[in-house]
Amino acid sequence: MAEMEIKFDVNGKQVRISAGPDKTLLHVLRENLGLTGTKDGCSSGDCGACVVMLDDRPVNSCMVLAPQAEGSSVVTIEGLASNGELHPVQRTFGETWAFQCGFCTPGMLVSCYALLESNDNPTREEILTAIAGNFCRCTGYQAVVKAVEQAAAELRAAKGGAGND
Amino acid sequence: MSIPEYTAPTTLDEALGIKKERGAEARVIAGATDLILRMRDKVFSPSVLIDLRRLSLDGIALSDNEMRLGAFVSLSKVLESAEIEQLFPALAAGCREFAGPPIRNRATLGGNIVNASPAADLVPPLIAYDANIVLSSSGSERVLPLLEFFVEPGKSVIEPDEILTEIRLPVMPPCSAATFIKLGQRRSMAISLVNLTTRLSIDESGAVSDARIALGAVAPVPMRAVAAEQVLLGQELSEELLSRAAQKAREEVTPISDVRASDSYRLEMTEVLVRRALLATWDELGRNAADG
Repeated sequence: MAEMEIKFDVNGKQVRISAGPDKTLLHVLRENLGLTGTKDGCSSGDCGACVVMLDDRPVNSCMVLAPQAEGSSVVTIEGLASNGELHPVQRTFGETWAFQCGFCTPGMLVSCYALLESNDNPTREEILTAIAGNFCRCTGYQAVVKAVEQAAAELRAAKGGAGND
Repeated sequence: MSIPEYTAPTTLDEALGIKKERGAEARVIAGATDLILRMRDKVFSPSVLIDLRRLSLDGIALSDNEMRLGAFVSLSKVLESAEIEQLFPALAAGCREFAGPPIRNRATLGGNIVNASPAADLVPPLIAYDANIVLSSSGSERVLPLLEFFVEPGKSVIEPDEILTEIRLPVMPPCSAATFIKLGQRRSMAISLVNLTTRLSIDESGAVSDARIALGAVAPVPMRAVAAEQVLLGQELSEELLSRAAQKAREEVTPISDVRASDSYRLEMTEVLVRRALLATWDELGRNAADG
């Protein structure tokens, strides 16, 4: 089957890859671009290990065909940190031990990041809704909720601080 | 999974032209959240995929008496619409309980319909709101009630050269309310054991002027419990009346046993959930009246 040239942005950089239309966005991220932080769990849109941001929304990258991403902007787990600094929710995941085996963590973090981008004061219910498409089979969800609450508090404090300058 | 050819046309005419030429071999791709699985399982092996994303079929437009939703509207987009929340809350409720956010960001209303799954969550609310759908083909289009679209599990009346382009919902009469209920094995990421929407409209005297009981996953295709609706028509609402309608609905459904639930459980739940939904709809009507 003929490969297609596909152009899109990944973590702020434009990339150009060649892939057959039967390849998923998840596949090209991992195999063509070497971004192996995004995990392949169920390959059927159920587990959320492959969640990335696509045009500012979290999606299952195993449920997106590569050519559907043409012209889009993708952010993966590798793109959450900036200037060598972890995103607050990445740091609070570590501080609250919101993972054990870590396999669900990249997708879980992207879903939490998506929530915090639009809402820096989420309720517990809103956090649970935001991660409803991410399955964790070892740690559980309580520590994740705690990590998001802590990160949200930090983000609000940082914003408040900036406002007082 | 093998996809020989992929195209993302920029006009609907172009897309319909490919459909006309290639027929059933050409499959439309929207959110792809179900299509990818079916291609992987070789249920579908299209020779060409037609990606609709460049066709601007994701509009939500409200006129005096009708809302028009593009087939490419994602479930997240439904949830972001204040107009849908106000005018068609049972549709929003169905979207809210659909899978999880990453799937809702991709899955489309049109996809949920065209799949023709008996358990499609958004079909009962759309049927309860008397949805019509627009099937476009090269040079023409036809409009039909959504209820008439389904033939058997996975099969609909869509012709090989047609594309579902729009869903039309009439604005409900003033004293109307609707309730969506989904029963699954968990709240998220679950295929429904039973899903349903009840809608009631009442006239000035308080009698039921219109009733819809739309059900999914309890028959080969999404359905209306028409005899149960008849029980309600013209009557004053009472708990006894709603219970009687729910019993009638149970007689109308023909569920099967599968990995998710037995037929007898689905029967039992049909009665319980129809009664519960009707009670909630009645409650909502009372509240709407109090607000007005």
